[in-house]
This record gives sequence, C-alpha cells and structure tokens, in this order.
Amino acid sequence: MRIAILLLLTVSLLVPSGARANDRVVAATLDNGLRVLLLEDQRSPIVSFQVWYRVGSRNERQGATGIAHFLEHLMFKGTPSHGPKQFARLVEENGGQDNAFTSQDVTSYYVNIAADKLDLVIDLEADRMQNLLLDPKEITSEREVVIEERRTRTEDDPGGFLGEEVSSIAFKAHPYGAPIIGWMEDIKRITPEEIRAFYKMYYVPNNAIVVAVGAFRAADALEKIKRRFGRIPRSKVPPPVLAIEPAQNGERRVTVKKQAELPIVYLAWHVPNQQSDDAPALEVLSTILSGGRASRLYRDLVYQRQLALEAGGDYSYFSIDPNLFWFWATPMPGQTPEKLETELSAHMERLKTEPVTDEEMARAKNQLEAGFVYQEDSIHQRASLLARFELIGGWALKESFMAKIRAVTAADLTRVARAWFSAEKKTVGVLLPKS
Amino acid sequence: MATRVAVALGSVVVLAGLLACRPTAAAPLAHREVLPNGIVLLVAERPAVPIVAVRVLTRAGAVYDPADRAGLASLTGAVLTRGTAKRTGPEIDSAIEFVGGSLEAGAGRDNLTVSLTAQKKDLILGLDLVSEVVLSPAFPEAEVARKVSEIQAAIKRSEEDPGTVAARALARLVFQGHPYGIPVEGTRESVARLTRDDVVKFYREHARPDTTIIAVVGAVTVDEARREIMARFGSWARPADPLPLVAAPTASASTKEETIKRELTQTTLMFGRQAISHTDPDYFPLAVASYVLGGGSASRLYTRVREESGLAYAVYSWVSPWRHGASFAVSAQTRTVEVPKVVVMIREELARMGREPVAERELALARQYLIGSFPLRLDTSGKVADFLVAVEDRGLGLDYADRYKERIARVTAADVHRVAAKYFQPGTFGLVIVGETK
Repeated sequence: MRIAILLLLTVSLLVPSGARANDRVVAATLDNGLRVLLLEDQRSPIVSFQVWYRVGSRNERQGATGIAHFLEHLMFKGTPSHGPKQFARLVEENGGQDNAFTSQDVTSYYVNIAADKLDLVIDLEADRMQNLLLDPKEITSEREVVIEERRTRTEDDPGGFLGEEVSSIAFKAHPYGAPIIGWMEDIKRITPEEIRAFYKMYYVPNNAIVVAVGAFRAADALEKIKRRFGRIPRSKVPPPVLAIEPAQNGERRVTVKKQAELPIVYLAWHVPNQQSDDAPALEVLSTILSGGRASRLYRDLVYQRQLALEAGGDYSYFSIDPNLFWFWATPMPGQTPEKLETELSAHMERLKTEPVTDEEMARAKNQLEAGFVYQEDSIHQRASLLARFELIGGWALKESFMAKIRAVTAADLTRVARAWFSAEKKTVGVLLPKS
Repeated sequence: MATRVAVALGSVVVLAGLLACRPTAAAPLAHREVLPNGIVLLVAERPAVPIVAVRVLTRAGAVYDPADRAGLASLTGAVLTRGTAKRTGPEIDSAIEFVGGSLEAGAGRDNLTVSLTAQKKDLILGLDLVSEVVLSPAFPEAEVARKVSEIQAAIKRSEEDPGTVAARALARLVFQGHPYGIPVEGTRESVARLTRDDVVKFYREHARPDTTIIAVVGAVTVDEARREIMARFGSWARPADPLPLVAAPTASASTKEETIKRELTQTTLMFGRQAISHTDPDYFPLAVASYVLGGGSASRLYTRVREESGLAYAVYSWVSPWRHGASFAVSAQTRTVEVPKVVVMIREELARMGREPVAERELALARQYLIGSFPLRLDTSGKVADFLVAVEDRGLGLDYADRYKERIARVTAADVHRVAAKYFQPGTFGLVIVGETK
C-alpha cells in the first residue's frame, strides 16, 4: 500500500497542471475597453508583459502602406515623461529584453523582465499607449532606419522580394496585397500628421489586449493594470476594414529577375481563415505537406528525388481575414522552376484524389498537439498564444482548437483540397537569377 | 517586421550571452556526474511542463577537419541522423515526428551536437533514437552523396546572403592560417572531395565517450535520467588513443580591407579581430566593453549610427569565444552611398572606447543588463540544456554563472578603458565590405 501511495504522489508531483493551466487565466475587460489576460507561472522569477494592438497593415490605405510598422518604430521614441531613448534604456538597465513586431493584423510589443519590475513595465506601456511624442525630427531620422530595414528584408532579399510581388497580384481589393513594411515610395512620403492621426485612431485601450504571464499574483497584477491603464479614456471604435477580396477568376503570374544564386518558386491560393469550418483541415493539410522531414514535400522533392534544396507550405490559421495558402520551393542547381511548379501542383492534385494515410493523419495531429505542449515551456510563448486566440475571438478558443484538429478526417482533406486549390484561384511567382 | 533585428549569429553568441551572468546564487543548475567511460552527465529537473530536452555534445567540430577536407565535420553531422544499424534515415524521421518530437544533429567549429526535443511520454523512444545515431550511425553511401549535393547547393545559395558572405570573409582575415578561418560547411570544391570513408574515419576518431557531454533537462528525475543514459551509453568504450590537439591561432590577424562586389542596394560592413575567451580575466571587462559599444539598443553605435543618424537598421558588436580562440566583431548594414560615413563612425567609436573611460551610467546599464537578463536566457528546457553542455565543454563548472555574475558586477570603468585600449584600436581590425563598389 505504501508503495502505491508513493507512486501516486510521484506521478502527481511530476505532472502538475502547469501545461494545462488555461483554467487559471484571469480575463477582464476594463471600463475603458482594454482587454486583460493574466496567467500566473511561478517557475522562474520573470514575467512576459505584452501589449497587442488590433492594427496592422490590413488597416492601411493605399498611399500610406507601412504606416503601422513605421509607428511601431516610433513607439520607442519617447513620451514627455520618458524621453527619446529612455524606454530601451530603462528596460535594459532593469535587466529586461524588449522588442516589437508588426504583422498584417496586429502590432505587438513585449517586455520580458524580472517579475519585480512589473510596475515599471506597466507604467512604460500605459504611458506610450497615450502620450507618444512623435517628434518630427525623430520621424525624419527613423524613416531612414525603416528604409534600411526594407532594403535588408525586401530589396536585397530574393525570397522577400518575390513574396511581395506575389502578394501584390494575388490581392486586388484587400490590403493584404500590400507589404507590411510598406512600399518604398510610401515610406518616403508618409507625413508626421498622418502618423499622429493613425496613432490616435488605433492606439486606444478599447483596441488593445494586455497579456502577462509570469511570477506574479494575478489579482495584484490586475489591480496595477487597472490603476495605470484604467485612466486612459476609451476612444472611438477604430473603423473596420471593409474590403473583401473578390473571388479569383483566373491564374495570375509574375516573374522577376534579381541577383540570386538559385531560382525560387511560390504558389499561392486564396483560402478561408479560422472562421471557416475548413480551417482545421487546412491546418492539418499544411502540416502533412511540410511539417518536418517525414512530410510530403520534403520527403519527395528534397529527399527522394532531390529536385529542391527546400520545399514547404504555409497556412495562416490565425489570419483575421481570408488569406493565402503558400507553397514554395528552391530548385536544386540544374533543376528548373517550371519543374518545381509542376511538382508542387501535382502534390496538390494528389490531395484532391487520394486520401492521406492514417499514419500521415496521426503524425500531423500529434505534431500540432506537441507544438502546443512545447510552447507551454516559455512564458513568452504562452502569452503570445493567448493573445493570438484572443484576437480571433477569445483566448478560450485555445481549448477547443485541438478538439477541432483531432476531428479532421482524411475525407475532409480531400474535400478542402478540391474546394480551394483550383487552378483559377492560383497565383504563381518565379524568381530567376539575373545572369 | 520588427523594430530591431533578432540577431541570429549562431551558437557562439548564445554561449557568450549565456555565460554572461547569473543573478543570485541558488541551488546548483544541474546534477553532474562522470560515468565510468568518461561521459559527463548533467541533469536538470524541470517538472512543470511534460517535455524533455536532450543534448549530446561531442568534440567533433570543424576545427578537426583535415586541411584538404574542409566541411568534413559538418557533413558528418548532417549524415548522422540519416541511418543507423537499425533504421534508415526516413524511418528515423518518421519515428520521431510521429510523436511530434524532433531529432537534429549538426557540427559547429568546436563540437558536434545531437539535439532531441520530445514529450515526456516519448522519452524512451527519443533516447533510443539519440543513442542509435550517436553509437551506431551507418553513414549510408547514398545518404552521404545526397548530403554532399545538398550542402553544395546550400553553399551556392548562401552566396546571395551578404551577411553570410561577409562573415566568411572576415573569419578568413581574422583567423588566417587557422582552421577557424575556414568555413564550417567547407567550400563547394572541398565538399565535392569528401567520401563516406572520410566521414566514417572522422567520426570514429573524434566521437568518443571521454569527450562527450550529455544534458537531460525537463520532466525527468536524476535517477531516471542516469538509468536511461547508462543503459544506452554505459558500454560505449573509451579509446586508448590520446585526444587530438589543436594549436591556438597565431595572433597574426590581417588588418586588410576586403571588398566583395554584389549587386545590392545596401552594403554590409564587418570589422573583426582576434580577442580572448572566458578563461582570460580580461574577458569580463571585454564583454562589458562590447555591450557599451554595440551590445543593445542603448549602445553607443546603436545610438549614433541608427538613432541619431538614421544610417542603419542593424548595427552591433559582439565577442565570439571559441574553445581555441576568440574574435570580436562589429557589423552594420547601410545604404551604399553612406559606407564611408559609417566606416568612420565605427572607427571613431572604437577609438573613443580606448581613449576615455565610459560614463558611470553606461557602465551601470551594461552590468545591470548582463546580470539582470540572465533568467530570461534560461527560461526553457532547451535553453537550459544548451547552457549546461556549453559550460561543461569549456570546463567552467556549474557555478561559473555565479562567479561570472560577480566578475561582471566588479568590472570598473578603468577595466573597460584598459581592455578597450588593448582590443578596440581601429587599426588592428580587418574589414570586409559586401555590396556595390565604385
């Protein structure tokens, strides 16, 4: 009996509820509309504090592409109480790490820092939600930095360059067709007044989510957040994005030449997002195609036939609006982009006619499930995942996500492949090395 | 699109950062024991999340590549998971990916590392695979041939990445005549010469239990880890041959300027010279000096080149401490027309570090950041496992982090001044420029 009890104890000690701690998420919406998600994680004396604004390149208009990302840079340029350069300095001298990113849908800021510095971070983030300086001198200088960033990511990067070209012809109505960093001409043109107006419109508490995971008491943290962020007045609800991408009625194609060593091929299809019942099947399909070395594209194109140096596919489950399902390949020297395009298309055709094997299906589901567990190891990842689900309708959707994935059948994959991957909904991009 | 570049400069930087500091003297980071055959086993229990990270580090890095066989360690690492006595490469891939795990192997300058990530429930399968690839790799002929052409294609493609091109050229200048000057992956020509026999011989000579370190971190107990590792690696016999020796690089780093033409809108600059490793007492002041100069977004270079002048998105300096030598480098990317201006700024800031002491606030910031950010660097089982094998590999001891923290805290402005005067003289650096040239 004693042994049995000890064993039970050991088991419960080894598998505490750490990885399944969503039931401990404290969620609140402040009077000013700010959404707050808190999760205690006492493993290390650190905290990840993140502010996610519901604004990205999808909220931009033509002529002002890149403004969301430009503003992200300027968020580090000071307020009346924390002057230029003070933000990064304060974080660093308190042993913290901070950064930010802009996507099509969101702009996200994070500070990972010792848990006893939570007050400092709350103060800094609340301050720059409301009081950003946006000094024209700083804007002039930072504009050059953003231009350099665009050179690194796009002008001088063959993959980035081609991706931009493909997106821009795949979308003719929806802002997802414009690059997140913005067109060079727009980055150069955008005025301080436009940036200020953009900031005033979107950086409001009722358009933001605060997420914190770490070694705090949730009740205390919530009090502190209420005290500091609660004073910021609610503002007008930012305007919705109205554009709906019309159905594609024929294949689109772009070929670019650039200094590069190897060609690149991209195929992109318009697919639905998480609001669709087809989304879980598309997520599984993406994993079967390109999740690891046992996946179809790697095993066939990279490993068995050595046609490609790299090949893969990518689906954005979390996209706010319907987006693209990407296929890509880099041909091995001696192979042509035409050949890889044919082979990538053939893989898609095969999915329409031939059910995936039980092993492939089980592997993909296991990989998706394991991916969730691995993310639980990092407080930063835990916070990001909560925010991503909150953005698409609520953090608790995280719980039902795996159930939806598990319910996907081989017949579902065949069905969604037939429904969405037709030739007339395809956009093809080819990059050829300039000889 | 991020505000700042996520610097991915490879494992060396990870080590440089990780070894930077630790905040408080707490319980030892890990249990350590030496198995009868010489393997050092390190175990850290992190029970909260049901995953396990395993690292097997063995001293089979590119530094041991024969002179006419550049890229051999790298090829060996790449083929290690491509078949064992029991399973083919695809069978290994399928087995680990079926449970959502990953198994990777690869060689760097000093070591060859096998990395496993798996859920706790799949630990036995994961360790079976790790031990098979480490102890009974088959190095199938066809797999070697596949990897040779893959590596050649990857080298070809990397020629379009200005950062990689610059780093390769800089290593050649800084470590001329030493294996560190030769690319880990080799060249397309050197890789073409490599054979299965080379791989088999290299692995037999360099993978041995008495230079192997195994870290097991995560939802596992020390007893369990010891039992499972002993069961698989306990009978790995220690060879009688002495350990191979590697000479330290001679201090004859080139101060040349090398320009590599590429049709790009932006030019990549990389300055570099030899420096010192952790075993040198001046390493601590050097780490602080590098941080003040170009370590973070409050650094002098970031402030002057990026924030005040808008000349670059990326501008950094860093120390790379290897086992047999070290380097210090500064890098920036700027529009081609501004290259002369940025070169002058970097040289001026290097010189200023050696000319006048750093301000107390700058020094405090660097020390506080290096010390205070430490827990963030050990916040996942994977990061802890990487740290443990690195500390053990350099013989620094599991308390090294605590000692390091003390040493960083004690660095004075005078120390930084002295070390900068010695290592930051602009005239002692080689310089590589990749981009359009006039």
